[in-house]
Order: sequence, then C-alpha cells, then structure tokens
Amino acid sequence: MRLEKCWFCSSTVYPGHGIQFVRNDAKIFRFCRSKCHKNFKMKRNPRKVKWTKAYRRVHGKDMTQDSTFEFERKRNRPERYDRNLAENVLKAIPKIDKIRVSREESHHKNRMKGKKLKDQKEDIKEYNNSIHIIKAPAVLKNEIKVVVSQQQPEENRAMEE
Amino acid sequence: MAASFASRCSRVGRSLFGGLNNSSPGLFTMSHEMTCSNYFSQQQRTFIQMRTVLKVVDNSGAKKVMCIHALSGKRGARLGDMIKASVKEAHPNGKVKKGATVFAVVVRAAMPKGRCDGSEVKFDDNAVVLVDKQGQPIGTRVFGPVPHELRQKKHVKILTLAGHIA
Repeated sequence: MRLEKCWFCSSTVYPGHGIQFVRNDAKIFRFCRSKCHKNFKMKRNPRKVKWTKAYRRVHGKDMTQDSTFEFERKRNRPERYDRNLAENVLKAIPKIDKIRVSREESHHKNRMKGKKLKDQKEDIKEYNNSIHIIKAPAVLKNEIKVVVSQQQPEENRAMEE
Repeated sequence: MAASFASRCSRVGRSLFGGLNNSSPGLFTMSHEMTCSNYFSQQQRTFIQMRTVLKVVDNSGAKKVMCIHALSGKRGARLGDMIKASVKEAHPNGKVKKGATVFAVVVRAAMPKGRCDGSEVKFDDNAVVLVDKQGQPIGTRVFGPVPHELRQKKHVKILTLAGHIA
C-alpha cells in the first residue's frame, strides 16, 4: 500500500480517496479532493496559491531542509520483512515525529521574531496619523500632550516584555 | 460648530458613496464569477455511446472510429468496455480499411471511472484499440497509457503491448 502525495497541495492521498488524471504522455496527477482537482482544471499554479505546501515552501513559511524529512521517501524496492527492523522502525516513528514538530515550532518562532515590535510600531503610527478622525485637532491640541505622556510608559513596558 | 457640521456632512456623503461602492463591486464580482465559471468549466464528459468518435491508438491502420454500438452497459460504454465501431478515417495501406465494421476496447476515457479502492481515474481523451471478436488485438503495438483495469476485463494482450500502465 502506497500513500501518494497530492499534486496540488502536497498532502497525503490515502487509498480510496480523490481522483487521478492521466495525461496522454502518461504523467499521473493525483488529487486529494475535488478542491485540488478543480484548482488544477482552472490551470492554477500551486506555487502561487497561498494555502498549498508548494507556496509555503517557496516563500519560506515552512521548514524546507531538514534531516527528519529524509526518512519519508519514495522507495521502489520493497523492503524484506524483518521482525526486529519493523519493531525498531515502529519505535522510531514517534521519536522522529516529535523532533520534527519541535524543529518546526522553533522555525516558526524564529520567523515571527520581530513581529510584535513591528506591530506595535505600526499601531503607534496609525494612532498618530489618524487620531484626528475621532477627535477634532483643535480639541486635541490641549489633550494630546497628556495622552502621549500617559501612553509612553505603557509602550515602553510592553517593549521590554 | 461649522467644522463639526462640515464633518457630519462629509460623513453622510461618505456613507452614501460607500453604499454605492459596496453595491457596485458586488454586482461586478458576481458577473466576473459567472464569466469565470463559463470560461473555466470543462465539457461534461459522458458515456461512449452511438456516434461517439474515438481515436485509435494502435498500428492497425485505422485513425478514427465511430461507435455504433456499446456491447455492455445500459447507457453506453466506459473505460475497459468493448464497443462495435465503424472506421471513419484510415491510413491508405493498413490492415483495416475505411468503412469497415470492427470491434474495439476502450482503453482511455475522459469520463471518470471508479477504481476498485474507491478512487477515480480519468484520461485526456477517448481512445480505443481495435480487436477481433474474440478480443485479440488486430495491431501489434499500443500507444500511450492504458489502465490496469484491462486485466480484470481479460485484455492482458493489450496490457503487454502497452508502454505505460496507469
């Protein structure tokens, strides 16, 4: 039994699921669900559709190079059954999975490093630029100094966190 | 006072325009979607029935045949079924001549066909391989991919001749 990958979204296609399209040059396109099949029929490029694995890989959203990916590979020669080997493999699978998940988490953390600071800066900018929509500038002239002096210590504290 | 009045006016105006804007893009998007669906929707693929023209993918000499009778199924033939066909186009010096009535096996169909595990398979075009009444192929070569379901239909000879099995 072989678990194939969906051509469009690169998810696993389990037996009995989805549809496969055979082009006249004998290339097989497998799709996990009708969503992927329809997108293929619309001639969309999976690298340009944001929810696909291909897009996330191209744009550095997901971890791409890692030693844990090398365990999952297409092998055309069936492995000869060996009880000890099978036992060890079954033991190793959850371990490898755990390592992979932790590495993915750290990758995500690394990617999101400067996000909080950036968001705060943008919020401050928006506040300064568009406060006049809520309150008339004439009224603010007296107030704004007070507001800023009150807010600044709060922002500083948030940054330190 | 004047400033507040002006701002209120502008707000009202904005809301009015906003309403207009909201409605108009909605209309546009609707029409756009409709055109898209028309543009992208593919032909609804159906059974191979009387007057379906199929490509011949062997070296029997025929190029195109027209189905004149589906030998199995109530509504028509599908992938792997036998049909009776008349040759519409043929190479000048092939085994099969134009106008001949032949038997053929559907080796590729654009209509999706369920597989034994529940998934589906479909092909680019409708293609046949010409056979005699006993199911032995007339040609000696088969071009293009061929589904492995032919084995269940007892057309093993076609499978052995084919280069690619999907």
